[in-house]
Amino acid sequence: MELIPTYCYQCYNGPDPILVKVEDGIAIGIEQNYALAPFHPSGGRICSKAYGLIEKLYNPHRVRSPLLRTNSNKGRNEDPKWKEISWDEALNILADKLRRVKEKGGIDENGYPRIALTLGAAGTPEGHFGLLTVFLSTMFRWTGPIDLTIGTGQGVKCYHSEHVFGEFWHRAFMVVADLPRTKYLLSFGHNDVSSDGASAWRLAQAKEQGLKMVHVEPHLSVTGAFADKVIFIKPKTDAIFLFSMIHVILHEKNWKEVCDLEFLKKMTNSPYLIGPNGYYIRDKETKKPLIWDLVDNKQKVYDDPSIKDLALEGEYEVSGVEVGPDGVIWEHESFKCKTSFQLLIEAVKDYSPEFAEKICDIPVGTIREVTEEFLKNACLGATIEIDGEELPYRPVAIQLGKTVNNGPGGYETCWARTVLLMLVGALEVPGGAIGPGSRLNPPYETRWMSVEPGPDGFMNQYLNPTERGKWPPKVMFRAPLTALIPLAGSRGWATGIAPFTLAWMFMDEPPENWPKPSPPDVWIIYRANPVRTQWDPELVERVMKKFPFVVHFTYVIDETSWYADLILPDHTDLEGYQLCSVFSKHWFSLWDYYGYILKQPVVKPVHNTMDMTDIIVELMDRLGLLKEFNSRINRGSGTGIPLSGENYDFRLDEDRKHTSEEIWDRICKAATAMLSGGKEVYGMDWFKKNSVYLKPYPKLERYLYYVLKKSDLRFEIPYQERVKRVGEELKNRLHERGIHWWDKQLKEYQAIPCAKDFSKELDEYYRRNGVDPEEYDMWLIASRSPCLSWTGNVSNPRMLTAAARALDFGGIVVSSRAAERRGIKHGDIVVIESPLGRKEGKVIVRGGQRPDVALLVGQLGQWATPYAKDLLVPNVSDFIKLDLDILDAGGSACDLAKVKIYRV
Amino acid sequence: MTHWAMVIDLNKCLGCLTCTVACEVENYLQGISWGRVIDFEDGEYPNVRRTLLPMPCMHCEEPACVNVCPTEATIRREDGIVIIDYDKCIGCRLCMIACPYDSRVYVEKVELPISLSLLKTEVRSKSQILKERIVSKCTFCVHKIDKAKETGKTPGKDPEVTPTCVNTCVGNARHFGDLDDPEGEVSKLVRSMRAFVLYEEAKTRPSVYYLSKQRR
Repeated sequence: MELIPTYCYQCYNGPDPILVKVEDGIAIGIEQNYALAPFHPSGGRICSKAYGLIEKLYNPHRVRSPLLRTNSNKGRNEDPKWKEISWDEALNILADKLRRVKEKGGIDENGYPRIALTLGAAGTPEGHFGLLTVFLSTMFRWTGPIDLTIGTGQGVKCYHSEHVFGEFWHRAFMVVADLPRTKYLLSFGHNDVSSDGASAWRLAQAKEQGLKMVHVEPHLSVTGAFADKVIFIKPKTDAIFLFSMIHVILHEKNWKEVCDLEFLKKMTNSPYLIGPNGYYIRDKETKKPLIWDLVDNKQKVYDDPSIKDLALEGEYEVSGVEVGPDGVIWEHESFKCKTSFQLLIEAVKDYSPEFAEKICDIPVGTIREVTEEFLKNACLGATIEIDGEELPYRPVAIQLGKTVNNGPGGYETCWARTVLLMLVGALEVPGGAIGPGSRLNPPYETRWMSVEPGPDGFMNQYLNPTERGKWPPKVMFRAPLTALIPLAGSRGWATGIAPFTLAWMFMDEPPENWPKPSPPDVWIIYRANPVRTQWDPELVERVMKKFPFVVHFTYVIDETSWYADLILPDHTDLEGYQLCSVFSKHWFSLWDYYGYILKQPVVKPVHNTMDMTDIIVELMDRLGLLKEFNSRINRGSGTGIPLSGENYDFRLDEDRKHTSEEIWDRICKAATAMLSGGKEVYGMDWFKKNSVYLKPYPKLERYLYYVLKKSDLRFEIPYQERVKRVGEELKNRLHERGIHWWDKQLKEYQAIPCAKDFSKELDEYYRRNGVDPEEYDMWLIASRSPCLSWTGNVSNPRMLTAAARALDFGGIVVSSRAAERRGIKHGDIVVIESPLGRKEGKVIVRGGQRPDVALLVGQLGQWATPYAKDLLVPNVSDFIKLDLDILDAGGSACDLAKVKIYRV
Repeated sequence: MTHWAMVIDLNKCLGCLTCTVACEVENYLQGISWGRVIDFEDGEYPNVRRTLLPMPCMHCEEPACVNVCPTEATIRREDGIVIIDYDKCIGCRLCMIACPYDSRVYVEKVELPISLSLLKTEVRSKSQILKERIVSKCTFCVHKIDKAKETGKTPGKDPEVTPTCVNTCVGNARHFGDLDDPEGEVSKLVRSMRAFVLYEEAKTRPSVYYLSKQRR
């Protein structure tokens, strides 16, 4: 028996090293790679999903060769009538389609790219798609932009607001607790245990070191079961809870005693003075924001070296200018202006726990108790030494889950969370809340490098332009990322958080004064199932049906394959080659090392599938782009590993076709030479035995606080002047073109947001559509299964069976009180109905859930995917209509619907 | 003497089910599972708790399953591990009735994991341990522990000779070792105030101990 090292990459925390047991050419077991335990962020331990990889490899429902659709009619009831074809034929067909795009020009008559590409969730395809990024950059040069914004579940089933604002405020695509250092963790539906091994491992480690975890959620998840205390909150009222905590600190406590004043004064915009129009009051000459020096009793610019003590609260008479949208300037002489911190104090005045209790359905005492514990654990004044540097130690953090920070209320919730962290200085310091990686602000390797000095003492931000003359953007994406979502920018992974909801809606029916997005000539989907993961499957299928040519890279036929024209089965996770970056891919896992890990075939391909890199090489060859492609690999485009450098040269012969193995061998050598300054060179053979090449990563780089302080920069919190200005400009641009359908979203661009009862907003939305919200008396919410999250594991029988061991999996979960009231018993078949959908399912009755909530665990409701289609469990997506009225300014929405449940 | 025992810290069990799946893969189980994690709730919203309770075979010192076995298929080894000789088992299931922990699983028909079914029969026989119409259960991964002597490795310390559920536990909740070594980690944990065994009244003296969950 052989033990072959490779990696598991089935969640955002990949890659994780594993060993595959191979007996007589058959993979029969999976183990963690014990030798790498000291280097791995969860001590080598991997979650259940890795152990299902063999069932994926030998899944009897695998696509066994390329398939061509022979029934040109598309629809749920139209059998695609697949015909098995050779790879040669399949690649010729695709190359031919791409060549035709080149002939017509990459941008269509409406301004949209003719080629579109969609990837599966959370970057997991990156661990498997070989040199797809080099293919993209080569194609970009050849045909022009490729539309990456026809999305899957992003926006409706992701951490959308956190992605946008986490990056904006502290380069945190995700915001996580600095576990295990954190001592107090307040988690709003952040289901770590159901997410991945490393997150779960860090929680358990922290628990051993004294963590207290308070979990706020409408139902009792496995993560809630692990927590010390569970608070059953009413869905979508999390912002009010957080605002109320701020209220307690600023209005009930002596905030000067419990807040980190040093942090507020020097690391935030709290002391900046705000003019009557809501913009910073600036020095007339330098246009720098003004503050008030309490000692000299006069106004100064924020970075004046003579500042002695900055005023945090109060109102001061100052003279200066405000710079509004589109360069408007207002001059003020001896005008009374408040600090932004003063405005914050006033903004939360009405959010008392008594007010919050009524909305969140949480006792006032609980809100005060949580706030007290949060303050008590913040350890004001404490410091810790990291890599020889002394940093503040503030071991409190707040994490937000998906529905919590998506859709209406997302901005308010994220803002309130960040303000709470700011008040005690727990932002980007040891023990506090940190962003393990940036995705919208490259480079990904270290967040420090993404910190550049920008205007007003803050980091530079690469926003999408909203100024007159620079809007609309030249190239339109079907999901109008660059046109409508200025804060997301357009670098790095920005297209990954485009308002995908809008792509589908607008392709179905464009709104007024908006160019109709035409279907792409060629749509390539890699390991994704948008039919099932986006809301409103009927609309998505209606739109998808009209796409002239759809290529799906998939290992089983799923709902999206059903609408495809060509199925390309690339090797599964245990069959292909790839060298994957360990560090820059991590999200929550916090490796202490950086370097590379090899994916290698552990067995011969089971079916007539191909290595993804070989597929791309063949396509490039057919398009006559081989030289360009090879040259890009040589330059390190897409991989970040140039094949030649100061001390090494492993360049490919640019005129020749190379195999995947050859290419990755050279990338292995170049990667090790690059990381070791030419001292060590290891090829594929070395990696095949040793799996990883690692270098220690400085722990200090985890904390953005350090680099901001060194660079004399501040966090752009609590006051959102830039957000307000950008919103005003976007409004001007849209109104100039007679566009008013985005007005609701534009209202979100507030300098200091106010939290609303977002559950009530949804009720009002139903009422406007002629539906009585009282009739639909339950909130339908979704949660994760630890065995299925992030993966395509719903087609994996072992993982589905394992998932079913949880008490809340496999049906529509309701509380015993709700069941009793409706005369429903455990196991009954019930109807679950919203104004937009009606499905049947088996009921699971439990005690640990709010009576006004129905729960669905896992993203199910499949009708084509093997195994999953046999489960009688619907999906929240089936009950919600894609509608501008329920989208936030980022184009995201929350996976939440009003439903009623009754016995069949 | 040696007495292999396990301690499961409920403070650190995450309920992630990794042990369950990894056990199935390690022991080539299909359609059955030896490493259950029971998932249950006490109470009603808002006063309710959810508990995840890993339930391996308890490898009792006075196992109820041994005495009832008419064919002496189930025995307790000298090192404390309770095993079933599948050649001797006649599938009468008396042991299943006797076991107070519901640790045993009846195998009507052997389902092979798809990977094993692809192996040649002679190769497969090395890994396939189950037979038709027998009772099966967790073995503490005895096939690994039995390699300790020849390899010079220590169960509970070296993963090669430690039960898979202990190695793979993401929360690091499981500890394995010799209860007859008073200075060993397992013995120390068993002496802690938090240690308890399930259903002590059954008087079978389990070798699996739990550390109670503490809430702060």
